[in-house]
Amino acid sequence: MDGVKPGLASVRVAQLATVVVGLAAWELAARRLWVDPLFVPAPSAVAGAFLGIGGPALAGLADTLGKTAVAYVLSVALGASAGVAVGSVRLLRDVLSPYVIALYGIPKILVLPWIVLLLGYGTTPAIFYGTLHGVFPIMVLVMGAVRDVDRTLVTVARSLGATTWQLYWKVLLPAIVPSVLAGMRLGIVFCLLGVLVVEMFAGVRGMGHVMGSLANGFQAPELFAATGLVSAASIAIVLALDHLNDKLSHWRG
Amino acid sequence: MSARPGALIAIEGVTKRYLTGSGPVEALHDVSLSVGEGEFCTLIGPSGCGKSTLLGMLGGLVAPDHGRLVVDGRPVTGPDPRRVATVFQEAGLFPWRTALQNVEFGLELQGVPVERRRRTASELLGPLGLRGFAAKYPRELSGGMKQRVAIGRALALDAKILLMDEPFGALDEQTRALMGEWLLDIWRRTRKTVIFVTHSLHEALFLSTRVAVMTARPGRIKSVLELSMEYPRSMESPEMVALRAKLWSEIREESLRAMQP
Amino acid sequence: MKVGLLRLGLLAVLLAVWEVAGRAANPLLAVPPSAVLPALRDLLLLRSYPDLPASLLLTLREIGTAYALAVAAGLGCGFVLGMYRLVGRAWGPMIAALYAVPAVVWYPSLMLFFGLDAASKIAFGFLLGFFPITLAVLAGVRQVNPQLVVVARAYGAGAVTVFRRVMLPSMLFTLVGGLRTGLALCVIGVVVGEILGSKAGMGALINHAYGLLRTGDYVALVLVTLALVVGSDVLASLLERHARRWTE
Repeated sequence: MDGVKPGLASVRVAQLATVVVGLAAWELAARRLWVDPLFVPAPSAVAGAFLGIGGPALAGLADTLGKTAVAYVLSVALGASAGVAVGSVRLLRDVLSPYVIALYGIPKILVLPWIVLLLGYGTTPAIFYGTLHGVFPIMVLVMGAVRDVDRTLVTVARSLGATTWQLYWKVLLPAIVPSVLAGMRLGIVFCLLGVLVVEMFAGVRGMGHVMGSLANGFQAPELFAATGLVSAASIAIVLALDHLNDKLSHWRG
Repeated sequence: MSARPGALIAIEGVTKRYLTGSGPVEALHDVSLSVGEGEFCTLIGPSGCGKSTLLGMLGGLVAPDHGRLVVDGRPVTGPDPRRVATVFQEAGLFPWRTALQNVEFGLELQGVPVERRRRTASELLGPLGLRGFAAKYPRELSGGMKQRVAIGRALALDAKILLMDEPFGALDEQTRALMGEWLLDIWRRTRKTVIFVTHSLHEALFLSTRVAVMTARPGRIKSVLELSMEYPRSMESPEMVALRAKLWSEIREESLRAMQP
Repeated sequence: MKVGLLRLGLLAVLLAVWEVAGRAANPLLAVPPSAVLPALRDLLLLRSYPDLPASLLLTLREIGTAYALAVAAGLGCGFVLGMYRLVGRAWGPMIAALYAVPAVVWYPSLMLFFGLDAASKIAFGFLLGFFPITLAVLAGVRQVNPQLVVVARAYGAGAVTVFRRVMLPSMLFTLVGGLRTGLALCVIGVVVGEILGSKAGMGALINHAYGLLRTGDYVALVLVTLALVVGSDVLASLLERHARRWTE
């Protein structure tokens, strides 16, 4: 290992170089037909395709993000409150933890066909499944945070005469905020994933459906453009959440 | 050692047992002690003698198995922040609150309106030596400062009684010495009744009006020393040297007993 | 003791509720556990789906291939990223950015590329499993004491020997954890790929049962697939514990 820590400037240069060289090599490979343009279109074609898919793609993205937002709100509300409720009662936590962790780890796609059977196609199963995906990481993180609250803080609050309600509101909740934020950051990706999966499996609208159709139609440039669009949207949302996280965590240092 | 009538704090025949992995253990056995108003009473003894448990009982956080504790005429049934304030060895400051917000926390719990509690807390910052640090978060404060905030939080309650469980235990020697002087100053100004737990003979002799020596587990009150010297005390005076020797011999005996398995 | 009993009790209650609700419901939509058992029996006796073993084998092969590729690539990339700090620091945040994107967005592109055959499932499984392995190797390499490497080099050890004799034992703990996560994700990737559309494999059977509203068979197939998923993780955790004991 070279022992010198690279400075920020050289890191940025390396990143930029990677992107530029990567794109250039890709463009070259496509133009020289080293790769089949049917499967791997040139970056220039993809860029052009952005304009081609314009309206329908943005509509699809809006639809997907709309469902994701609903699923996300539900996930956070359910996950955080369930996490606090189960995490703060010793017995509940001991009995339910293995079940919660097991459910977290099981691929939920196995029940997707059944959910679609019950809830039909379209928006409802997408929101339901998105919530199902997002709720577990949040709940697990919150449960862990509640369990790990510094005991001294609880003792101090009790000695100052705090009621049970005050203990929850003024000690527990502020203490778990960092974990809730971490869960929220994880949860958004999970919710979006859930919604996209349903759209691909049984969707009539939304980016998942759009991308699936483009794949079936062998429209590679358009598909790449659409994929890029969803990825960019996802990264933007996560960066926004990270920023929010930083702003709310100034006391942590 | 029976309780004196009319004392502010009366501990009467208190026993406490704990269940551990290897069977029941008696932490305190038939402890009796009384403390009058305005006193600075130190509890000193070997590790495991139950002094922290006793303090926890006075603070209403732990219940005795036998006996009772009476504070200001009332038996202790739970935390009573209007009468008894506790300072722990770990400052226990809420990391998401500033120093000022930490100091006013107890008042906030009692529903004191914002302006009044803010004023009370701000006025305390001066004597606490924390003027200018009101908006700082605990991570920006040194160990000694954090403890001062914790003490400020307890003082803000304006309770008659202050319980302190080795509050300077986690600090380095110099800070400890300075904090002791500072605490003495605060005590003499506020005229509170203080029960102070420590390992340090120096602190016990420097600060207290009475020193109660506890035995090794199961803890009982072995002896009580009355100190009536003037403050601030010279630790080198012949009287003090003799007292120190006496105190040490009592404690040493118990410490040796505690070290035996 | 009490906790264990309560857990079992909870499970029993849930099964009871399922049984009651299942009997009352439309059999095309929901089946009680009592109907699942005969369906499971028919499945395992190869009456309902004679090509179950072939499907199971295909899914296992897809998982195996995806995992082998993910491990190979993960070890290589993680090692490079860990050894050359500039590369690691440059590409690290870019890989972290990829984590902000739900992996399933890549699947349509893979479908376009590889079609509905095993290849797209293998590719997706590889994609999912590759990252945790790489990151674990990266973390493991970073935590190796550089002094040990210097000493080994001083004794004339070449790069491969340094890797095998010095780095590998130091990083085994982190590495094995990453390998376990990687396997779990490979399995999920293959299963997701199969259910989203495949001609063969367990996912195809599940879709077939679901499509014909053979709900009992569908549940039985899900249970078998679940056993596969859980079984692979149990196996991985046993190996992990074994490896940990070896490093202590």
